[in-house]
Amino acid sequence: MKSALKWDVIAKCGTTKARAAVLTLPHGPVNAPVFMPVGTQGTLKGITPDQIEGLGCQIMLNNTYHLGLRPGQELLDTCGGAHVFQGWNRNLLTDSGGFQMVSLLKLAEITEKGVQFESPHDGSLMLLTPEHSMSLQNSIGADIMMQLDDVVSSLTTGPRVEEAMWRSIRWLDRCIKAHKKPESQNLFAIIQGGLDPALRKQCIEEMVKRDTPGYAIGGLSGGEEKDKFWRVVSQCTDLMPREKPIYCMGVGYAEDLVVCVALGVDMFDCVFPTRTARFGNALTATGTLSLRQAKFKDDFRPIEEGCDCIACKSYTRAYLYTIVTKETVGCHLISIHNTAYQLRLMRQVRESIIEDRFPQFIHKFFKDLFVEKSAYPEWAVNALKSVNVDLIQGEEQL
Amino acid sequence: MTQAATATSNSPTNTTIAVNTTTTTSSTTNANGSGHEHGHVEDNKELTKRVIETPGCFMHTVKGTVPHLTPDTMRLQGFGGVHVSMEQLLQDHQPGGFDKWPFTLSKFLNLQDMILLSDLRDPSRYFKVPINSDRYVSIKTHKGVRQLTLEEYLKVIRAYQPDIAATMADQIAEADVSPAGTGQGSSDAEGETQGSPSSGPGLKRVRRSVDRSLKWLDQILLDRQGMDAFTADRAADEAKRRRRQKVAAGQSHDSKREIEALAQDSQNLDLVTGKATTAVTRIPWPGVSVFAHVLGSHVEQERIRSAQETARREAVDGFIVDTNPLRGSSKETILNLLKVSLDHLPVEKPRMVYGLQTPEDVLKSIALGADLFDTSYPSHLTEDGKASLYSFGSNNNAINTIDKSNNNSTAEATTNRWINLWDDEHANKFIPLLEGCECYACMGGRHTRAYINHLLKAHEMLATVLLMSHNMHQYSKFFTDVRQSIQDGTFEQHSASFIQNFGSEPERTGEIHAAQAIVEAALSKRNRLDGNNSNSASSRRSSRNGDSSSDSEGEQGAMSKEEKAEARRKLKEQERFERKEKNRMEGLKRKKEKQEQLVAGERDAKETREP
Repeated sequence: MKSALKWDVIAKCGTTKARAAVLTLPHGPVNAPVFMPVGTQGTLKGITPDQIEGLGCQIMLNNTYHLGLRPGQELLDTCGGAHVFQGWNRNLLTDSGGFQMVSLLKLAEITEKGVQFESPHDGSLMLLTPEHSMSLQNSIGADIMMQLDDVVSSLTTGPRVEEAMWRSIRWLDRCIKAHKKPESQNLFAIIQGGLDPALRKQCIEEMVKRDTPGYAIGGLSGGEEKDKFWRVVSQCTDLMPREKPIYCMGVGYAEDLVVCVALGVDMFDCVFPTRTARFGNALTATGTLSLRQAKFKDDFRPIEEGCDCIACKSYTRAYLYTIVTKETVGCHLISIHNTAYQLRLMRQVRESIIEDRFPQFIHKFFKDLFVEKSAYPEWAVNALKSVNVDLIQGEEQL
Repeated sequence: MTQAATATSNSPTNTTIAVNTTTTTSSTTNANGSGHEHGHVEDNKELTKRVIETPGCFMHTVKGTVPHLTPDTMRLQGFGGVHVSMEQLLQDHQPGGFDKWPFTLSKFLNLQDMILLSDLRDPSRYFKVPINSDRYVSIKTHKGVRQLTLEEYLKVIRAYQPDIAATMADQIAEADVSPAGTGQGSSDAEGETQGSPSSGPGLKRVRRSVDRSLKWLDQILLDRQGMDAFTADRAADEAKRRRRQKVAAGQSHDSKREIEALAQDSQNLDLVTGKATTAVTRIPWPGVSVFAHVLGSHVEQERIRSAQETARREAVDGFIVDTNPLRGSSKETILNLLKVSLDHLPVEKPRMVYGLQTPEDVLKSIALGADLFDTSYPSHLTEDGKASLYSFGSNNNAINTIDKSNNNSTAEATTNRWINLWDDEHANKFIPLLEGCECYACMGGRHTRAYINHLLKAHEMLATVLLMSHNMHQYSKFFTDVRQSIQDGTFEQHSASFIQNFGSEPERTGEIHAAQAIVEAALSKRNRLDGNNSNSASSRRSSRNGDSSSDSEGEQGAMSKEEKAEARRKLKEQERFERKEKNRMEGLKRKKEKQEQLVAGERDAKETREP
């Protein structure tokens, strides 16, 4: 199908499956691997568009389900889409809205037609079909839009998983057919198939035939064992076309990002950095600081030395301790810091790939974060071993 | 020379307030910041301070930040000074923990380029506090009411080194004094005369408040010079101690005279003139200007006495007239009482007013000779979801934006001083809050009314960020235009037409907008549902894209009783699960089993994700 993006791989890691690329979208270039902060309702949790741009963010997420309910399709059409609506001139990616119906609404029912759910406003029954999702995403005008998929929990087993996989393929066909602006908006397919390698393989084979501009690995990050998670990711990146961007949905913990990049993933999103910020948790290379704890009341250091975000340049931990979870500014500041942290991490990852020292970066990253090798998560050790980085033994050789 | 703040003013006039400058500033516009040197060891590099042109205002802060504005956005607003309320900022371990304190308050709050005025109480509201006594005032901190002695307050000033420190004052209000005869809720530790509810606190209590505040003022001024300001207090303590001993021994007969005699013995300084006979015993703090509270409640002669006595103390650098305790009286009465105070204060020193912040109140106060205000008005508008349209002077924005079909009756003019962005009519208005406005929100038409309406209804915090940017900018512009009109000699004329065009601000009723009520109700309903879902903390952390905007930190506008109860319940619930989460996290950390922690987080997440 038509594509409105350009995907230029500029460097490949000599050891792992990682790669550095430039993804050129209608609203400008995106340096990959990339973490995309989530601005669900057309805003990133109190951070102004200027501040987000200032952090070097090139692409942000919006949510079709939320924007479809409010402000609604009609208003989005009137003002010319979500970019204009929220004053954001860079790229947007929208999720299809299927996941929200399953996760947020108790009474969602999935049929071949679509996802039926109860309106949170008036309780009436509404139906989200692949056609409706495409129509909404066309109105939003996102640079990357996601197909409506049949989401099942990654812990579900049995025939339901296979049914969801096949249905997602059928829905992808309906999405492609309903997509009105393939020349200016990119539709990504979502690989389903649960934790079953055979189903994943079948799904990839079918979806690759549809030749969408990019592919996402869906149905993960839902509470499955990490050891199964990374195996599915690795299997998918092996089977997916290497000349297109690969997006792993809902991944956002720092160690998950680093491992998944090594497994060949290019794009990530997660609400975690901004959500945890609202509870006063600041992310750093050496772990999370829970700034609500009294131990910070006389700590006159910034959140993280060397961080150039407005929170670290302006305030000490001691001051942030007095305002987090009490003042909206506290929440804005930690959200800014956490977003800056995630984006910086991805920049460092990217630079190390370009300079072909990504394995060294991985070693240092894990050492900074977990200190002791005995504390390294076993799944991460296994995952990295599969791409020739031995966290436990290998450091000395580098 | 200890005066650090200088200003000249007539009534009304405009001038510049700058800090720690030797030049007497009388320039009216574009005054440059003066070289500023802090007396603190940690902070002795040259800094360029902003200036406050008067009539002008300090930015009102909550816990040391301008509500909703991060430091970068805050600096776009064009204000030169910040007002910080100590009661919001002092923590349990302070001032005790100040030994380790490495900063001036300016540096701690990242406000080195601003003139920082610190006061004990919040000027945007009047919280009734139970008791003041000869030795302490009650302040309302985050953790509840606590008592602060003058010694402690001086410790705070020494540690914080604000540019301007307000004096500790014994503020009393009608609300503080229970109806005579009930014998409860006395505002005075010693249970003095109770006021009748209609006339405010009794004369004796008012006198006492003026006397106490003057005594504290003198002690503060002495302490600033490095003198021991507490000899009299110690003498009185000693006298009381001896009396107690005698009473215990059954020897005391005429204790009151005894105490006075004992105390008099130890009185070896002249508090009024500040000529202390005691030697310099402490490090002086001449870099801090002192603004003195002028009191007197409803009693005119006491207001005059307080103003005159305070003005007589040469070392005072400026004055504060707090009208918050007069709330409940008519605006006319309040302005009259303000006039009584201002009439007896010198025009060469800046005079700040608390509690009169709406544009028309500001205009009336300026006409009476007030110089300085604070920005609690734009904060209040923002909390209510409103955006300012008013403007002062010839280029009247609001009038231009009023629908031409409207006739210009006063009622409509009143509503056109602002718009309420909760109103549905803005949902499809893709225009800026105010055409031609150069604030962050409006500039270049980047953020529209429709977007802000959406943000409010989506319970998103950017709504208040944008509204606050706009309202602060407009308030700043209002003062700029006022200063210009004083220079042009059109102040009276423009004031009259302002009040004619925009009427006066309706009282804030505490009612919330219908659209806001719907949003709050929907949120509390969903939070209830979330509450049934145990372990929601973990599900929040890892659910894919499940960002459901359930911010507990949303706007805290005025709410109905039910809403408040709901909000409290919500908050408790939130705190409970966060406590649980925290304990869980700490436990896991102790064991250093990071992997187990992740698995647990995912297991929790799974439970909430299953349809």
